[in-house]
Amino acid sequence: MPNDPAPTPDRRKIIDGGFLVLLAVTLLAAGLVAMKYGATHALATAVGALGFLAVLLPKVGAGLFVAAAIPLLLPREKVSALIGQESGWRGLLLASAAGALLPGGPGMTFPLAAALFAAGADIGATLAFITGWSLLSLNRTLIWELSFLDWHLVGLRVLLCLPAPLAVGLAARALIGRRERPRP
Amino acid sequence: MNILIGTILLWGLVGLTWAKLATPPRRREALAATARLAAFTLPRLFVAMIGAALLAELMPADRIEQLFGRDAGFRALLLAALLGPITPGGAFVSFALAAAAMKVGATPAAALTYVTSWSLFSLTKLLAYEMPFMGARTMGQRAALSLPIPLVVGTIASLF
Repeated sequence: MPNDPAPTPDRRKIIDGGFLVLLAVTLLAAGLVAMKYGATHALATAVGALGFLAVLLPKVGAGLFVAAAIPLLLPREKVSALIGQESGWRGLLLASAAGALLPGGPGMTFPLAAALFAAGADIGATLAFITGWSLLSLNRTLIWELSFLDWHLVGLRVLLCLPAPLAVGLAARALIGRRERPRP
Repeated sequence: MNILIGTILLWGLVGLTWAKLATPPRRREALAATARLAAFTLPRLFVAMIGAALLAELMPADRIEQLFGRDAGFRALLLAALLGPITPGGAFVSFALAAAAMKVGATPAAALTYVTSWSLFSLTKLLAYEMPFMGARTMGQRAALSLPIPLVVGTIASLF
């Protein structure tokens, strides 16, 4: 692919181990449902799921575009400089917020986290970034969580998880950071 | 309704991103990246949606009530936290299963514990992405520090 300096591994294998496990579990579930309720019921369940998928697709399409396009807009060096240094609370807050706001799946988040870590981010900011993405990913909450769960419940979860990235970052700094930080 | 709101918000973001990309070559680049991402995501989504619906059918309603209902207490949260990492597939599977379990009697606290545990410790993410990129040591440190979070979230949620 020309003009593609981004180190994000976009060209992941479409059929990998994770996909095969998913496929195997789905086929197993289909077999068990067919045995328990009959093949017609299993088929009807699958068709019903596809109907829901059709309703979701406009949203999924938008989500995919945002996830793919925003990394092109972010100046990598700048992001890395902002949360890359040991910058106290501000660094942890920025790292947590960046994790929550950056769209994209694990294939984008973990390479970016590894890059920041290598570029001099401390363990606290790195873990705050990963935890912020894990618990507060805006993209995932908008596309998936709110499609299935009531917004009251989603709101409660987000509220309860809000301090978690900071807590993990602070704990990492207190317990691991001082000893292990490789000095450049 | 939830789906509609999310869809409108995301398309707004698409419009904004599109405007920011400004030039045709950058827009083409973004569309190509979108196509690559879609090739990865859509087959998973297709299989996972069907899988989640089938797994929800298999959920024994009476056992869910017993295992994750009001009377199950802290044990329900512990079990929910253990189920998170081993849920296969993407976000859709865990959210769909949590919603299905709540329909047949699981408490919101158990559902939140499960979803939080999946978010932090999904084995698919850990093994396929975190370990390769971060290394086992850093992954282990993060997991150890995050271990109490699902239970803390569930315990506080059960007070509401």
